[in-house]
Amino acid sequence: MASVLMLENIWKDFSGLEILRGISLEIKEGERHAIIGPNGAGKTTLFHVITGFYKPSKGKIFFLDREVTGLSTYRIARLGLSRSFQITSIFPKMTVHENIRNAIVSKLGRRFDWTSLLSRSKDIQEETNRLTELLRLEGVKDMLAMTLSYGWQRRLEVALTLALDPKLILLDEPTAGVDVKETRGFVQFIKEVTVGKTLIMIEHDMDVVFNLADRITVLNQGQVLTTGSLDEIRRSEEVQRAYAGRK
Amino acid sequence: MGIWEIYLTTAMHGLVYGMLIFLVASGLTLVLGMAGVLNIAHAALYMLGAYFAYTFTHSTGSFWLSLILSPVIVALVAVLIERFLLRKTYAKGHVPQILLTFGLLYMISEIVRMVWGTNPLRVFEPPLLSGEIPFLGGTYPVYRLFIIGFSILILIGMLLFLMRTRVGLVIRAAVHDADMVGALGTNVPFYLFVVYAGGAILAAVAGVIAAPMLSIFSGMGDQILLDCFVVIIVGGFGSLLGAFVAALLVGELQSFGVLWIPQLALVFEFLLMAVVLAIRPTGLFGEEA
Amino acid sequence: MNRTVPYWIAGAALILGFLLLAPHLLPEMKIHLIIEIMIFSLWAVSFNLLFGHGGLLAFGFGAPFGVGAYAAALLFQHFAGISLVLTLSLVALLGFVTGVIIGSLSVRLKGAYFALITFGFQMFLYAIALKWYSVTKGDDGFGVTRPALSLPLAGNLSMANVVPVYYFTLAIVVLAILATYLFQKTPLGNSIALVRENDVRPPFLGYNVYLTRLTVFSVACFLAALAGGLFVFFNEFVSTAVIDMNISMIVLLMAIIGGSEYFLGPILGAAFYVLVQNWLSSLTNRWFLVMGAIFIVVVLYLEGGLISLFIPKKDQPGVSMGGK
Repeated sequence: MASVLMLENIWKDFSGLEILRGISLEIKEGERHAIIGPNGAGKTTLFHVITGFYKPSKGKIFFLDREVTGLSTYRIARLGLSRSFQITSIFPKMTVHENIRNAIVSKLGRRFDWTSLLSRSKDIQEETNRLTELLRLEGVKDMLAMTLSYGWQRRLEVALTLALDPKLILLDEPTAGVDVKETRGFVQFIKEVTVGKTLIMIEHDMDVVFNLADRITVLNQGQVLTTGSLDEIRRSEEVQRAYAGRK
Repeated sequence: MGIWEIYLTTAMHGLVYGMLIFLVASGLTLVLGMAGVLNIAHAALYMLGAYFAYTFTHSTGSFWLSLILSPVIVALVAVLIERFLLRKTYAKGHVPQILLTFGLLYMISEIVRMVWGTNPLRVFEPPLLSGEIPFLGGTYPVYRLFIIGFSILILIGMLLFLMRTRVGLVIRAAVHDADMVGALGTNVPFYLFVVYAGGAILAAVAGVIAAPMLSIFSGMGDQILLDCFVVIIVGGFGSLLGAFVAALLVGELQSFGVLWIPQLALVFEFLLMAVVLAIRPTGLFGEEA
Repeated sequence: MNRTVPYWIAGAALILGFLLLAPHLLPEMKIHLIIEIMIFSLWAVSFNLLFGHGGLLAFGFGAPFGVGAYAAALLFQHFAGISLVLTLSLVALLGFVTGVIIGSLSVRLKGAYFALITFGFQMFLYAIALKWYSVTKGDDGFGVTRPALSLPLAGNLSMANVVPVYYFTLAIVVLAILATYLFQKTPLGNSIALVRENDVRPPFLGYNVYLTRLTVFSVACFLAALAGGLFVFFNEFVSTAVIDMNISMIVLLMAIIGGSEYFLGPILGAAFYVLVQNWLSSLTNRWFLVMGAIFIVVVLYLEGGLISLFIPKKDQPGVSMGGK
């Protein structure tokens, strides 16, 4: 199976404070990988480094066998790597349709097109409609994003990530703050819309992890504690110790 | 005068001007660090300080008296602005705040023109401090030495206040992380008020002592605004040490700039700012984002 | 930005009709006022392209206006028979270049920092205009004569009389404002708007935020310089008044008092400014204070600007200006 993401000995420090310490990881095509670990382990920082938001202090990153270390965020996104945020980051005063459309305009490379009218661009409209339907947001497409309930905003958050048809999806605590009653449905939603895709997610909720992931990496204090399949991790003593020690 | 004397004198002038900029910029940068507000109207307080110095010096005949009265009046104006205008923008976000403070600077400049006229005004240095004294081979104006000395005294006073008093401690903590300090139960608005009023007094004092040296005109506000802005960018937001170093740097650049390219001394300030922004965007002493 | 298109089309049509007939209905002094309103409308609209649409507040927006004004004045002065259309094109292009230069150094900054650094650049240009007396005549300024407009098949149309000046200005301003409106509706216009709405997410969606902001800044400067050129064309005079702090405050007043959340707001603001200033200055010397006070009142109590008074509550976005 092809390698989608390869992290080679990634280090990241901030003025001497080390957050990531020698992380190496490989994600293969079609894998559904969860990254778990106690707070402060460096999970979100890892996502920032992968997406080019931070440059690693040391180490290399390869995406689809191409080195992307040091590339800007927008270049990496255009190569097909997309992420969602733990704290919802959508376009509040635009409708759901317009939100998705923003991603589509980018996907179709029309960001700097100044010679056609957006509302008359058939290809953009059609692709936006297609994705809005695919991502189950048909029903709310004309609502302003800021008027949606938190749960629906989280759906839009994930939808924006997926609208780019990315080759690698990073989800940062997608179910954060979602009502317990809605979590099941939301996880089912994620499962359905990401079928067959390569996925890395950061999660705290182990139920969600066991439902969505097939491989798990445990991070602790900026290092990979262990990587393995679902079963291997469940039974690992090291993991239990890491979590127990934190209480 | 030989070339070294010219350079030395220019450097001294730079020190003088740098000190003045620091007095004004210190209040600005502390409020910025504590409340995240860049109060553009602060520059107007410096200008008001100078204009009130003119009025009080001429009506009471005493420069020293105006050194006391002017800052008091200006601080009052600053407090009224905060209470009745600025406060209304806290809930609205940054854009209304910026618009309001810029509009206020503008309005105050217009009011100044209206009340004191459009011609530049002069205030004479007090007899005690006039004349020149022998200094490092040549002579140097006493008054400018007074500005340096007086500013250093104020600086020491500020440091003692911030380092040795409880109020100062809270302020330092709040500049570093206002949310945290608030979460610990401290009444942050009170300390913000102290910094705000203190900054206003310092800016006014700077205006008063600058008055005999520079001419008093209604563009003073814009001029010091730009200098302070460069100081904050170069020194780092919220950093007092940064403001001090940057102010001296800007003062020297202005001074030598006037010596070398009198028409466009501004260029050097801009170059400095551009270089700092390119190499270290958070300022020389600012905290990393 | 604005969903209630029908009223505006009707209103705009009415106004356009009035404007076409105005020189035959009104005395010359009033025509002068309308020309001034049109030129300032273009400038205020360009400011709002940057601010209302792009989310970038610049206190130094007098810079491109002034650059355009001086460029036009110098071209008129040194090339007596120069084509009017060529001059304005060059002037606008120069504005664009000015935008690229200033913008490339400024757009990485946010909020008040961006606002003030543009102000700094403008003060720098002001200093040049003030001190380079041999070229600009400093704050004394100098006069120019309007060149004739060469029409393709009909020869030259003299611009000495106010009527042809009026119609020419009307044509240019209407075209430019229409072009700006359509520009906001293109995919590029959308990119600019979404970067304003959320400045964290766009890079992760593949948008180059820096380049997007640089683009809107340069386009806005292009239009502002065009307005500056028209200003000199109309007044036949230029001085440092086109590039001082005052003029920056004026465009700010127009856009904010008019209303920055709607495309037509700044146009209303320009009309308000010109008419009120004209009226007030006959009453008192202190009219700038009144204007400033109105500005502050609008900032504190009427965030949508004057134009929001004409829009039914249900159609208003209902959030404070500038977001965040």
